[in-house]
Amino acid sequence: MTDLLLSEAEKMFIIHGVQDNLRVDGRSCDDYRHIELETDVVSSANGSARLKLSQTDVLVGVKADLTTPPTDNPDVGTLEFFVDCSANAAPTFEGRGGEDLARDISSTLARAYSSDRCSSSMLKALCVVPSEQCWVLYIDILILECGGSLYDAVSIAVKAALSSTKVPVVKVTSSDGGKPELELSDDPYDSLRINVKHAPCNVTLSKIGHSHVVDASLEEEVCSLASLMMAVTEEGTVTMLKKSACGSLHPESIYEMLETGKNVGLNLNKQLTRQLLDEECLHTQMGTNREPKGFL
Amino acid sequence: MAGVEVVSEQGFRTDGRKPNELRRIRCKQGVFSHADGSAYIEQGNTKVLATVYGPHEIRGSRSKALHDRAYVNCQFSMATFSTGERKQRPRGDRKSTEMTMHMKQTFEATILTQLYPRSQIDIFVEVLQADGGNFAACVNAATLALIDAGIPLKDYVCACTVGFVDDVTIVDINHLEETNHIAEFTVAMLPKSEQFVMLEMSSRLHLDHLSKVMDMATKACKDVHLVLDRAVRDHVSEVWQQLGNT
Amino acid sequence: MLTSMLTSITIYLNAMPLDRMRIPGPEDSKPPFVYETPSGVDVSNLVKTNGCRKDGRKADHIRPMFIKCGIISQAQGSVYIEFNNTKVICGVYGPREFGKREDFSMNGRLTCDFKFATFSCKQRRQHQQDAEEKELSQLLLQSLSPAVCLHKFPKAQVDIYVIILENDGSALSAAVTCGSLALADAGIEMYDMVVACSARKYFNSILLDPTAAEEIVPMKTNESVDEGEMTVAYMPSLNQVSGLILKGEMHTQVCAQIMKSCLEGCNLIYPVLQQSLITSIRKSLSNVDLQGSKEL
Repeated sequence: MTDLLLSEAEKMFIIHGVQDNLRVDGRSCDDYRHIELETDVVSSANGSARLKLSQTDVLVGVKADLTTPPTDNPDVGTLEFFVDCSANAAPTFEGRGGEDLARDISSTLARAYSSDRCSSSMLKALCVVPSEQCWVLYIDILILECGGSLYDAVSIAVKAALSSTKVPVVKVTSSDGGKPELELSDDPYDSLRINVKHAPCNVTLSKIGHSHVVDASLEEEVCSLASLMMAVTEEGTVTMLKKSACGSLHPESIYEMLETGKNVGLNLNKQLTRQLLDEECLHTQMGTNREPKGFL
Repeated sequence: MAGVEVVSEQGFRTDGRKPNELRRIRCKQGVFSHADGSAYIEQGNTKVLATVYGPHEIRGSRSKALHDRAYVNCQFSMATFSTGERKQRPRGDRKSTEMTMHMKQTFEATILTQLYPRSQIDIFVEVLQADGGNFAACVNAATLALIDAGIPLKDYVCACTVGFVDDVTIVDINHLEETNHIAEFTVAMLPKSEQFVMLEMSSRLHLDHLSKVMDMATKACKDVHLVLDRAVRDHVSEVWQQLGNT
Repeated sequence: MLTSMLTSITIYLNAMPLDRMRIPGPEDSKPPFVYETPSGVDVSNLVKTNGCRKDGRKADHIRPMFIKCGIISQAQGSVYIEFNNTKVICGVYGPREFGKREDFSMNGRLTCDFKFATFSCKQRRQHQQDAEEKELSQLLLQSLSPAVCLHKFPKAQVDIYVIILENDGSALSAAVTCGSLALADAGIEMYDMVVACSARKYFNSILLDPTAAEEIVPMKTNESVDEGEMTVAYMPSLNQVSGLILKGEMHTQVCAQIMKSCLEGCNLIYPVLQQSLITSIRKSLSNVDLQGSKEL
């Protein structure tokens, strides 16, 4: 990410502000910045979402493909996360410069989506013919700008993109004895939707001074020594928990952060579900006339 | 020829355009705040983002520095979900490397590089959705981003892809037309001085048709220039107003 | 299209160290364990009625350990650890000079390399690091770096290489413990040693230091929560958690509960580490004495 240099005085200003529950941009410690979300922005993908969280900007595209299922799990589909840190976000990402960050984000996401309930609710539907054919969803994440709490932004955008994903319906006509034949449905509106009820949202809590904040801006990330990342589902369960950044945390503060993170995550999920419903309504009302706002 | 006919008997193309008609161009400058300059352009369904960093100190090995002019660094990448079939890698394949080279040559010829000796200018373009004329859209987006960054140019660089089929020249061809194996021209030019900075042709074309096709391409690039110039002027006046001026 | 595909394939082949002496099996061949159904593993017997696990431990017991410091003569510090059948070796090299390309930095740098030996797991591992190993390297680095006084060796880096020789569960926690001990053995200045411990939540019991069989056993049912495994890296005398990772889905209270058990486990391991360090230093001192007396 871009190197940001802060003087000691600036750091102290931010830390003291956090202590008094008033941050530099006027938020309190567990407030998110304004989030702009739009689904179905890329027509060449099965599902897509673009999320702008203040200066953080990510674009997620989901593409479905048929493949053979993994041998140890023959009756589910699979998810493949791929993150591309575009050089647009920072010149240091040019060439292979963003690969470390990209790998870290994709492994964090894969871990968050690996819980049993999540995979059973989402991936069972993606099986076409057990141990023969299943759908693989390539979730491609494009990082366009980094302005703090990238992991949170990415996870929200992924959930939104998955909820907007339309996988074509495949009919299986089993010709006797031989291999089952697959037939794509002719009707483009006849599609399978992904159940994102158990998909988690990531909440990153950064420890600044003696308190912790959610959705840290770039400046706040510089002031924070350690942070705790947690993926929270709609029911408030945690599917991924990870200490990140090079610092350590007191066990007591982890317990506190867990509770804050849960509450924030519950709220975030609720807001997101509402927003996605709104988007869905908009889509059905406008039909094909709707033009995505995108970057314009 | 197999497949659909590119231009119908009534003189219309598959998407309903006339042969000399461009797709709708929509663009915006200043999409990102971190970068020195950025722009987004939509040409029909082709969507491209471009960012410009610099002029700044040479990054990486110092040996790239040129003592009399700026070093222009380009990167072309395509989002993995931008094409019909998923791309394995966003960059690094042969086609992207070629595009990067072309971009570099185009902009080295246009930027007044001699004003910034021993420094570097980065141009990064990202194709979000590909529907034909990718390179042209990238050049147009990069031009807007360079203008947004305030880097001195000789002129706008306007690019357009032109096709020639059945004695008809069609401008700004889309992906469907590209796949019909027609003669294809990619042209980038400086519209005021009518100078070409990049010219690429694939397939074959009779010499007699060449001047006709070039004329059409010149006309198309000038059309693109009108649209881009309008957008830049609108953007500047908007910023001017936001600064509190009338 | 075809040529570009071909070049990418050749590049891929060139990057892979191929054993040309070996007759390779068919490309899609798989080891037979893949077809071992999860139901074949005896789930019910993980904890017997008398509260004992398969290897006779109670739920909150850790496995017996064997530790030996200074076993790689070329490395500055090295440690071999056994937790019953989990066997780990670690070598620490440095502080040594940065590579030439890097810029000057006031802080030293730590690099971690985590590798499963090809023969360490049930399925054969590749020579090259795969995605899981890269993620574990990252986690190892994040767990160890808070403990090291990086400002003490500017412009230099310390490399930590961990190889799992045999994986019988809790590989990451063994690697962290082994790595921090090797750092201490190398004489790198640290704030505290890092001790790591894993725990598996299984029905109502929390199994400390799980074996591979206990890690693999599938979660209860598809609709279950409060199942999973956590690894905690802990600095006991500072009372700080330096690493935390969770797999599975659970409520935050359960998270806290498991973390507490892990911390207890860490406190059990800590004195053993101290003891082994003292032993190794005594030994090296006596060697010096012997040499000194000879010279006299």
